Amino acid sequence: MESASEEYTARQHYTESEKQTIFNDEFMPHIHSMYNFGYRLTLDRDDAKDLVQDTFLKAYRFVESFQKGTNAKAWLFRILKNSFINDYRKKSKEPNKVDYQEVETYYNSEDVDRQITPDLRVESLKDMMGDEISNALNALDVDFRTVIILCDLEGFKYEEMAKILDIPIGTVRSRLHRARNLLKEKLKSYAKTMGYNNA
Amino acid sequence: MATSPNPFIQADGKKPTCLEMLQLIVDDQATEEQRVYFKQHMDHCLPCYKEYNVDLAIRELLKAKCCGGGCPEDIVNQIKSKIKTISA
Ligand SMILES: [Zn+2]
Repeated sequence: MESASEEYTARQHYTESEKQTIFNDEFMPHIHSMYNFGYRLTLDRDDAKDLVQDTFLKAYRFVESFQKGTNAKAWLFRILKNSFINDYRKKSKEPNKVDYQEVETYYNSEDVDRQITPDLRVESLKDMMGDEISNALNALDVDFRTVIILCDLEGFKYEEMAKILDIPIGTVRSRLHRARNLLKEKLKSYAKTMGYNNA
Repeated sequence: MATSPNPFIQADGKKPTCLEMLQLIVDDQATEEQRVYFKQHMDHCLPCYKEYNVDLAIRELLKAKCCGGGCPEDIVNQIKSKIKTISA
């Protein structure tokens, strides 16, 4: 768990065969999760491939910054996320501004309970057998998409997400909350459409 | 006040709102103790009960539909052959 934040520090010394073992036994098992993460970030299968390949090559090159037996998954996810920001996002010049100010004020508001307004029904969700959820997720801003993927699909803890994303735990929590609300808004509009169709 | 059984209460003693409890549960970050407490809380809090079930259904949809079906086999081979040239 600690290794994610010490990506390029605390060098280990491994023999060539130890490196291979770490790579094959600790890194490679995460390749499918990594690919899905890459795909959900870029929304393009070729870009996802490049991103994954790039990440694993970096992981191999910097394997001595990884401490055997620690959280390889979080370490790899952090490398992928950084590659995405530094290489991919720069290339595609995707404008990306989340209104963090708005997000941060959420926990300070007095009437938070008022925000529990379940007008999305479980029954309508159960009817969404197609690409609705995937489209809704992909439509979110990449920063919101990312926390949903890390939390719901990959099961990371707040602390791990904070390290992968280089943000405070409080920001992880508020971003997740906001992301879930945005996702629900999208799903609600799909549910409405489906209701019209069924009527 | 100090002997409150609510396991969501933080070190600062502040009583958590429904939304704060719900988020820990939905984000799957709650302790076993907190999960048990929340289950009982839902018995007499309809908004939490409804929202929890909606959130759960969304999570199940995400898991069923957004896991991508695995990466193409050729990536694995491409990576392995590149590694070989690096380490050679
Ligand atoms: Zn409640």
